Amino acid sequence: MGKNVLLVDDSSTMRKIVGRSLRQAGIDFDNIFEAADGIEALEILEKEHIDIVLSDINMPNMDGISFLREKATRDNIKGIPVLMISTETGDDIIGEAKSLGAVGAIKKPFTPDKVNEVLGPLL
Amino acid sequence: MNETEINIGQAIMDSTREVFSTMLMVELKADEPIEGQGGEVDSNITSMLGLGKDIRGMLSVHCPGEVAKDITGTFLGMEVEEIDEDVKDAIGEIANMVAGNLKVFFQKHGRDIELAIPTSVVGNSFRTSGMSGAQRVAVPFSMNGRTFLVELKYMENT
Repeated sequence: MGKNVLLVDDSSTMRKIVGRSLRQAGIDFDNIFEAADGIEALEILEKEHIDIVLSDINMPNMDGISFLREKATRDNIKGIPVLMISTETGDDIIGEAKSLGAVGAIKKPFTPDKVNEVLGPLL
Repeated sequence: MNETEINIGQAIMDSTREVFSTMLMVELKADEPIEGQGGEVDSNITSMLGLGKDIRGMLSVHCPGEVAKDITGTFLGMEVEEIDEDVKDAIGEIANMVAGNLKVFFQKHGRDIELAIPTSVVGNSFRTSGMSGAQRVAVPFSMNGRTFLVELKYMENT
């Protein structure tokens, strides 16, 4: 089975940019799924085989922290790794994300090289 | 806030230039920061984002339509012909990343701020106002010979 990624960001522009950065970094996924908030992300995780999630933090409806908290309660999806991509870089919020299972964080703005550097070892 | 202690105009310049050089591969030219009134551009789209906690305020990116389409087209790598949802989203994301860089800047100066989610307004001949008593710093930037403005209105919570 090929690898699938889920991009979670309320900005459609940023989802396109992250997808392009993955390709520029030479990271190939068979399928790129997209969600505009944590609620949509949970629905996709319940239906699709996803290998890794790249998620924003500040989003309407369900933000990235609430998404991590809810995901951690669901046995069937809690093991899927989540990498945060956000303008938020404070130790407090990134620390909270990691305590809820996030495997790392990339600060916006970012380069494809940065995406490769952080994401590559996780695949 | 002591302007000699914290150079907010320079912070807006650095924050905006980093976003454009990293995400759009564009090196922006900036004019001198404007403190107080002045420097307004004839905006067709303004993306705004609220700041809270130690500093209350509003970060705004004001763009004439042609600049907004140019930024969006460069951002997405495609031709953009009208101010549509892609343009509103792209300029909002520019505002979001500039504000994120400013958040890091303020953290280095001991101020913790929280960021809201950006909102974009599209139209002709509109102005945004509010925050009576707030200080204002604005920086005009030039991209491909056209000007847009990044503006911060703020006041420190005591």
